[in-house]
Amino acid sequence: MSPSPSLPNHFLPYEDAGQPAALVPGYKETLTRNPARPLILRPATLTEITGPTRLARKLPTGIRDLSRKSPNGPRAMGQLILVRGRLLDEDGLPVRGSVIELWHANAAGRYMHPMDAQSPAPLDENFLGSGRVLTDDQGRYEFVTIKPGAYPVPNHPQRWWRPPHIHISVFGDGFMSRLVTQMFFPADPLNDIDLILNAVPSAQGRARMIARQTPMLEMPVLNLVGYEHDIVVRGDRQTPFGK
Amino acid sequence: MARLVPTPSATVGPFFPPHYFGDGDNDLTFVDDKASRAQGERIHIFGRVYEAGRVPRWNTILELWQADANGCFAHPNDPRAGQADPNFMGWGRRWTEDDGYYDFTTVKPGAFLDPLTGKQRAPHINLSVMGSGLMRRLVTTLFFPDEPGNAGDPVYAAIPDPAVASQLVLRPAPGERAPAGVRAYRFDIVLQGEGETPFFID
Repeated sequence: MSPSPSLPNHFLPYEDAGQPAALVPGYKETLTRNPARPLILRPATLTEITGPTRLARKLPTGIRDLSRKSPNGPRAMGQLILVRGRLLDEDGLPVRGSVIELWHANAAGRYMHPMDAQSPAPLDENFLGSGRVLTDDQGRYEFVTIKPGAYPVPNHPQRWWRPPHIHISVFGDGFMSRLVTQMFFPADPLNDIDLILNAVPSAQGRARMIARQTPMLEMPVLNLVGYEHDIVVRGDRQTPFGK
Repeated sequence: MARLVPTPSATVGPFFPPHYFGDGDNDLTFVDDKASRAQGERIHIFGRVYEAGRVPRWNTILELWQADANGCFAHPNDPRAGQADPNFMGWGRRWTEDDGYYDFTTVKPGAFLDPLTGKQRAPHINLSVMGSGLMRRLVTTLFFPDEPGNAGDPVYAAIPDPAVASQLVLRPAPGERAPAGVRAYRFDIVLQGEGETPFFID
């Protein structure tokens, strides 16, 4: 049996300049947690082009307002923002019904996480801290939250500060489209010194991690600053199976 | 159509929300209701994750993806999706504990003829490793012992050194927390250093 030309088996290799380096000088955890041996190239098989289609039945979604803990509850401190975008594959086609998980620090730069217990920044009892949404039939997602604060990485010799960023975890359409990334805010001066954003060698690659501010007159409501952020995952369906 | 370039990956960092690990997320044998279980031999997979110097790596995220007991995926890209077990989740997630420990409950996956490569895939489970210090996730594949199809599996065979490939074979071991009567396999994940686990690039 020869490979079926109707199957979407033509994944492009990663473009390395558009993806982060594995080893990041100054980010010491990268030095001891990455394999010393080279990664082994393998063929894509059915296992790599399939993935869970029923995740939302196991992971509750619809948690789209991180700025408060209940629908009419008090808001967390900080600038209210609306983040919207599309989840697309490499052909620009929407990835529908995909789970997106997001989490970030509060406006003071502190996470609601036991790992951040040493932070001198205050907790915010009204901040939800994380959300989980599903893309719609056009691949769109949106959530409301407060703009995260910057924070210093503890005990770092170069006084590395993380700029405001939102962690985004995406499942996409299959195993190969799984992506965890971070969204940054445009024109923040701390973007220039961030070791994580700047681990991506190409300027175009870094630009793909930075959201675009929505023109104010295009915002549906007055009380939110808007950001647009499309996310592209690996894979394509230009020759979908069975069509 | 102009091709889009994938968004760069970035580390999960140390602050992945602990409540994202729900009860039963590391049990692939049910979808909605624990009373309706997947078909096949229920198995327990456990081990520890280590970074360089055999230091246990806690707060690491592991995810599994595999076919059901008959080698089917409940996904439109599988021509046999219609036969997939409706009670098999196929996906699971687990957080490593302070000593690097993790475990999953699943069923032994079936072999299948892969339509992309035209080759028979031996029973196998895909594993993703994500965490602080990993700018991109690491991926590998677990295989089962005493499977004559391992050597001809296109992913197993992609590893040039047979001794390295054999590191991906699960080892039968008494499960530290396996339910009674469930066969247990150990798989330690060594991110760097002696006994380093082979990882792939897709």
